[in-house]
Amino acid sequence: MKKTVDVSIPLGPVHPIFKEPCRIKCETFGEQILAAEVELGYMKKGIERIMVGRPWQEVMFLAERVCGICSVIHNFVFIETMEKISGVTVPDRAAYLRVLANELDRIQSHLIANFSYCYTIEHETIGMYLLNIRETVMDMLEYLTGARVTCAYIIPGGVRFDPDSEDLARIIHALDSVEQETRRYMGMFESGPLIGLRSRGIGIMTREQAELIHAVGPTARACGITADCRSDHPTYQKLNFVPLVRTEGDNYARVMLRFQEIMQSIGMIRTIILTLPEGKIRGGGTIGRGQTTHKGEAPRGELTYRIKSDTHGRVQEISIQTPSIMNIEACARYMIPGVTSVADVTSAYISSDPCIACTER
Amino acid sequence: MRSIISYIRHMARPEWLKKFFFAKTAPLTTPAHFRDFPHLTDKECTHCFQCMMICPAPGAIEVIRTEKPGEWKPVIYPGHCIRCGLCVEICPELVLDAGRVHTKNAQDGTYMQFQFHITVNPVTCMGCGSCTVACPVNKEIDPQLAAKGTSTSDEVIMRVYKGINTVFHEDKCTGCKTCEEQCPTRSILVARVLEPLQLEEEK
Repeated sequence: MKKTVDVSIPLGPVHPIFKEPCRIKCETFGEQILAAEVELGYMKKGIERIMVGRPWQEVMFLAERVCGICSVIHNFVFIETMEKISGVTVPDRAAYLRVLANELDRIQSHLIANFSYCYTIEHETIGMYLLNIRETVMDMLEYLTGARVTCAYIIPGGVRFDPDSEDLARIIHALDSVEQETRRYMGMFESGPLIGLRSRGIGIMTREQAELIHAVGPTARACGITADCRSDHPTYQKLNFVPLVRTEGDNYARVMLRFQEIMQSIGMIRTIILTLPEGKIRGGGTIGRGQTTHKGEAPRGELTYRIKSDTHGRVQEISIQTPSIMNIEACARYMIPGVTSVADVTSAYISSDPCIACTER
Repeated sequence: MRSIISYIRHMARPEWLKKFFFAKTAPLTTPAHFRDFPHLTDKECTHCFQCMMICPAPGAIEVIRTEKPGEWKPVIYPGHCIRCGLCVEICPELVLDAGRVHTKNAQDGTYMQFQFHITVNPVTCMGCGSCTVACPVNKEIDPQLAAKGTSTSDEVIMRVYKGINTVFHEDKCTGCKTCEEQCPTRSILVARVLEPLQLEEEK
């Protein structure tokens, strides 16, 4: 980066609000940020290299461990890619159950993202309340799949466990309280004057800028771009999914959009539970040879897997593209430059929900 | 001033004081549906080693002989186990259990099935026969292999035939990958192909 002023402030890699290590270098003029650069590379795992040469039952668990927060979608997209390669079909009930697990995961991921934002703007009270709701969602995920984070729920040709009507009733009952509580804190966030001061009009990215830098996920949808991979997914199409869009493009819009998506996900889970078709949950079928690219919508945006497998379904080549890399770059280029205080740098950065573990893998 | 008095009045109530000094958080309990480390049931292990073959984590499960003659049992190493529950699903004798995995599998009639495929790269295989000698199933079928290192039996999984390692009975392979470890040129590969299945519903 070309030096335009003499004061360059580095934030991180160790910083109280960063959940994961990353360095933001800001060129400042007084408190005003003129330019910013994000430096990654503090936690490379090399997980794609470990995946090579292994069958799906081993890669599936590695794929889940790419990201700790959005593990279900990694499982989901990896297995769908393998199914696309070998033409395995999924029974209706299993397809719906996959979406159910995925939406539960999205709710908890959005809740923790909003918690991080509230924590960053020093509003820990709302943050902790949001984490409390998240616990309920995590418990339901555990009830459905047997584990809180690395669920290992989705396998080729179906899902692992079939919830009976009692389990579904319990999930729907828990969602009632989640919806009520989320609505309450959403209202607090919407009308809080101090939250508004720290959020509205800060970290603005226009629609043109977002298109230019290829922002994805809620970061793009908060700028008015209707981009959501879920609208291409057959099961979501059956559920009449329509992506939510806001037009402001500031911190406030991104956080509020996540709240709205939580509400949408809750609605979708209700529809799934009410219209869940009877039938088998595993269709059978083995993974074969092929090469393909497949994408899905992670809580942070578009997640792409490109896999080449051999005759017996072992992964030969794999590359994962995670959404956060786009959003982090959008942050550095458009959101952070122009904010009027160094304290807003971190809040603009966190509002795009960066996940360094995904990005560096 | 009035609010301070009201606070003091609120806190001076015996039930508030009792709650303040003696309230205890409920102890943390692991729910029954949590898929914990697999534990042994009282069923008898037939040492088919399928749990070892399916395990995605290196060194997490081992089936070993106990002190009692003829008895085998799986041992879980919690430091390595990732609690995926696949060993529970694959075990044909229901020796292991974790959380609700068994209950759910029995309800839905879901199970998993293994197939093993051996591929030999004819370009790099130099016909040394290390894999055929190392193979534990081969040794059992033809004891001559263990003693002399050569065999003429057609019942073995594989043997060196016309200067190259030839696979005769792929279906007898147990997927242990001992041959893969022994191969000096990495020209033999064992594929563990897993297929998740469900029984047809009885209606």
